[in-house]
Amino acid sequence: MKISGSYNLPVAPERAYQILQDPAILAQAMPGCESLEQIGPDEYRMKMKVLLAALSGQFEGKVRIADQAPPTSFRLIVEGSGRIGFLKGDGLLKLSPPDAGAAGLTVVSYEGDAQVGGTMAAVGQRLIDGTAKMMIRKFFDKLASLAG
Amino acid sequence: MIAQKFEYTAPKSLDEALHLLASGAKPLAGGMSLIPMMKLRLAAPEHLVDLRTIKDLNYIREAGGQLHIGATASHYEIESSALLRQKCPLLTETAAAIGDVQVRNMGTIGGSVAHADPAADYPAALQALEAKFVLNGAKSERTVSAADFFVDAFTTTLEPGEILREVIVPIDDARTGTSYQKMVQPASGFAIVGVAVRVRQNARKVSFARIGVTGLSNHAYRATAAEKALEGKTPSANDIQNAAALVAQGVDANSDLHASADYRKHLAAVHAARAIKSAISRIT
Amino acid sequence: MATTTTKTETFVGKRIRRREDPRLITGTATYVEDIQMPGMHYAVILRSPHAAARIRSIDTKKAVSAPGVVCVFTGKDTKGVGAVPCGVAMPDLRVPQHTILATERVYFVGHPVAVVVARDRYLARDAADLIEVDYEVLPAVADPEKALAKGAPAVHPQWPDNVAFTYHQDGGNIDKAFAEADVVVKQRIVSQRLVPMAMETRGVVAEWRGADRQLNLYTSTQIPHLVRTIVAAMLGLEENRMRVIAPEVGGGFGSKLNVYAEEALMGYVSMKIQKPVKWIESRRENFTCTIHGRGHVDYYEVAAKRDGTILGIKLKLIQDVGAYHQLLTPLIPQLSVLMMPGLYNTQNIRGDIIGVFTNCVPTDAYRGAGRPEATHGIERMVDILAAELKMDPAEIRLKNFVTKDKFPYPTATGLMYDSGDYATPLKKALDLVGYVKLRQEQADLRKQGKYMGIGISTYGEICAIGPSPATPAGGWESATVKIEPSGKVTILTGACPHGQGEETTFAQIAADELGVGLDDILVIRGDTAVVQYGIGTFGSRATAVGGTALYYALQDLKAKIKKFGEMLLESDDVSLMIGQVIDNKSGKAKTFQEIAGAAYRALKLPPNTEPGLLATRFWEPPNFTFPFGAHIVVTDIDDETGQIKIRRYVAVDDCGNILNPLIVDGQVHGGVAQGLGQALWEQAVYDDNGQLVTGELTDYAVPRAQMMPWIESHHTCTPSPINPLGVKGVGEAGTIGCSPAVVNSVVDALSPLGVRHLDMPLTPEKIWKVVAKKN
Repeated sequence: MKISGSYNLPVAPERAYQILQDPAILAQAMPGCESLEQIGPDEYRMKMKVLLAALSGQFEGKVRIADQAPPTSFRLIVEGSGRIGFLKGDGLLKLSPPDAGAAGLTVVSYEGDAQVGGTMAAVGQRLIDGTAKMMIRKFFDKLASLAG
Repeated sequence: MIAQKFEYTAPKSLDEALHLLASGAKPLAGGMSLIPMMKLRLAAPEHLVDLRTIKDLNYIREAGGQLHIGATASHYEIESSALLRQKCPLLTETAAAIGDVQVRNMGTIGGSVAHADPAADYPAALQALEAKFVLNGAKSERTVSAADFFVDAFTTTLEPGEILREVIVPIDDARTGTSYQKMVQPASGFAIVGVAVRVRQNARKVSFARIGVTGLSNHAYRATAAEKALEGKTPSANDIQNAAALVAQGVDANSDLHASADYRKHLAAVHAARAIKSAISRIT
Repeated sequence: MATTTTKTETFVGKRIRRREDPRLITGTATYVEDIQMPGMHYAVILRSPHAAARIRSIDTKKAVSAPGVVCVFTGKDTKGVGAVPCGVAMPDLRVPQHTILATERVYFVGHPVAVVVARDRYLARDAADLIEVDYEVLPAVADPEKALAKGAPAVHPQWPDNVAFTYHQDGGNIDKAFAEADVVVKQRIVSQRLVPMAMETRGVVAEWRGADRQLNLYTSTQIPHLVRTIVAAMLGLEENRMRVIAPEVGGGFGSKLNVYAEEALMGYVSMKIQKPVKWIESRRENFTCTIHGRGHVDYYEVAAKRDGTILGIKLKLIQDVGAYHQLLTPLIPQLSVLMMPGLYNTQNIRGDIIGVFTNCVPTDAYRGAGRPEATHGIERMVDILAAELKMDPAEIRLKNFVTKDKFPYPTATGLMYDSGDYATPLKKALDLVGYVKLRQEQADLRKQGKYMGIGISTYGEICAIGPSPATPAGGWESATVKIEPSGKVTILTGACPHGQGEETTFAQIAADELGVGLDDILVIRGDTAVVQYGIGTFGSRATAVGGTALYYALQDLKAKIKKFGEMLLESDDVSLMIGQVIDNKSGKAKTFQEIAGAAYRALKLPPNTEPGLLATRFWEPPNFTFPFGAHIVVTDIDDETGQIKIRRYVAVDDCGNILNPLIVDGQVHGGVAQGLGQALWEQAVYDDNGQLVTGELTDYAVPRAQMMPWIESHHTCTPSPINPLGVKGVGEAGTIGCSPAVVNSVVDALSPLGVRHLDMPLTPEKIWKVVAKKN
């Protein structure tokens, strides 16, 4: 599944780049994230609880950051699995000042591939796209509130 | 297809249910969404409180110039209610369009609304009807409008421990016409898109229009731009077309195996136009 | 049908309600799930969530010590059990070792990895969650054409090109035909993967009786005897120590014409724990682990003269095999090649099959099995050719049909069509639908910018499968008929009907032959300890082959009855009628009960005659039968939404003699429902990683009652000369005739937009995109 979109963060690109790689902030912003602990350079172990409508599931996985080009882009690779299935995401995040050039604003655009497997994949076709969008929206909303 | 172990309580009163829910139990109504998720172990609630055994949650009645529907009224009970057919036909029409016979026999309006599936049928009608929901907690009762209730996919303003106890819809006069038009997803029976329209005419002019849309985005919403485009007009076919085109404007449309975002937006406009025409034609 | 008896009431040819229905309708039939045994345990199978992965380790400790769990087995434990067999032999067939539980690797989502056995199914299911499997996920490939591309992940590392087999067939002189052609039309046609979706999922109860050295296996199957032979061999058990029982079987559609890992696995488990064990497939497992059907990508080329005469047909067929061969996997596309010419008189063909491994569940027989794909292909191509030549699709068919004076007709693919009259059903269907008027209406609607289509499909099929040389496990069928000492009639059939209604039709045949009532007759099938060896029910064969075996057994029995009658009546001129033997001279009679009494009491026997009243026949058919027909579908397209509305569905099927019109109608209706499913709604979609994303009924659209059009079912009758009943078979006709008629109709509707072909399923969005392009 292709995932793409963009979001405005109310901080300058340098700051946006920084917070997007700050484990403490990411842990707070990621919906359902219960812990995020560093296990290597740019690599983290993550525990997550997804709660969505009736669906609930624990996931454990890894988050890895690669191809860093501060403050304009980096790759984010997420892998998680749990009893209800597994998910994998690999996306490129690009940070740029808005076209109008307003200071203190960053447009974060993302583009990537997400894979969902296991029981989740078989039953959730109708829901996966919407759910992914919602989680990303929640993530950036929270990030924006933490960014200031 | 075997759920995890769970506790099940069939309380006799709403108070008893709310008490149990306050301590973390999960409410069960028709079970049309929850039970399949449990069988696949995508959901594993430890304790279910069955609301269907509470007698005073299942009713459809008129009071104070409004219609009151208890949370556990089934889709079939709504579809076949003489009172609703006469005074709120939009709701009977919508209920009749839900899933299949088995689902309509089991599923409840409270369960469907509280679950807030982005493709559920009721929310479109309830948005168009400007319905109100009475939400009860162990120590609280509040009323929320449909416009405020639906927040995101499967996300509502319900707090943990709270249930949707009652749906309140208005009684329209004879100058009002309504219609629900839906494109069915053939596997699930859910709406790919569904549009509910409620229009009132005064001397052939549309004095009032309410349009609810489901299936298109993360939650059902009112298409206010389209409503405004109709109001004050004696709408020509062209006016209807133009108003309908506005229902999907600026919406971040869902996309899945069954319909792309572009197709969904197109269908929303088509079904909006059909629903507007049909609603106007039903004004007596 | 030839019959020597005369009597007051006959049954063959009448609309007799199915005798099996009351128990099915009232929910009192006994399916595998209904079987209970003292001490029975329950098995839950842990399956791979990955399409391709190496198993690094499996930790079952927590599961083994979970409450109620008796044991957990993995692939290491079951290494001694034989592989799940492929029943097809071909020169360059690559057969991967198909162990009953995965060992080093998993090859598709749903691949069985471990089995948990517990006191009850809930505890077993809970414990399955406690097994920890460490997978190293590998790249997967789910699309057969992508699997053939260079650099694609190898499904089986030993065969990096993913080719499972190839098959080539030439008939006539194809190169000459194409060289002489005025016109050649080409088209890629996809016949998508489908989930057979029997209402009853699979299920097995295995009961090992150690003291008797006896394994009883209850399984939801179409082929109990073959299951016994094969599973006994897999388990290393003597075949006569195993009894297979197919209780009520809630639909199969080919998906239960197989031998599955779970059948052997449950036998293994029961023998290990010395207790009965039950496994019932969940719907989710049914989606991911029971065979799928179709899965073709076909490249067609048809050469023709300008007047529409078809000169030759080429087909390159890419068959999505899946990760393994199941029992008949490589055979199914060969049936497509055999049926390539359809009903048309062309002697030049070339068929090439490439079977391709993918990280998906195997494909195998699904209602029609290779013939729907072939019919869809040729019927689409004939329409494409007609469009190219600006000919009427009915006219081009009538021009090319094998004419009725040419039967038996040898095809370019080596078949011998038994009997046929192809123009008659087409003409009848054209009349019934009002073809000429419809074409006028269509022209008027087109002027108004409206899309209405008329689609014709004239199909042929291979039924009564089949002569033994053409099948992997024998193509005959057996029947025993006996008159019990009380005079009641018992039929044992080696066929294994599971919805086809032979408890009724076989009783009709026997009732007419013996002159008894239907209630005097019991039809028993599906128990290897009771019924002599048989082949089973599939390929529209049960009545045409099994019914014929019964017919001949009845003749033998009648001869014996007469002998006893002659003896008891002391006459040499007797007739058999109304359940008795009558002395033609004196008019004296002996009832079957009296005759049976004498035959079993055996105080006196006719010369050269043994006691008892029983006859058994194994009948080997000399050929297949070839039913045919014409389906016409009229559609209206909603150009705003792309939705297709079927206005008329006219089916004229010729299945030879009809024993029970009610059952034949039911078969046509059911077949058409599944054909419409493929044409309009169903598809098994795997994503690029091999996840089945239409893996539940919320995403996989099976036709429901309210989605069905009214089917106008009619018939012509061209009896088969192959069997004395003159029947051809009708179980798959509806499915085979349907899908091209629907697609031809929609393509016809959209032809003013330049549409020449659309692949199934014809979803509204697909149609809308075509229409929107114009707007």
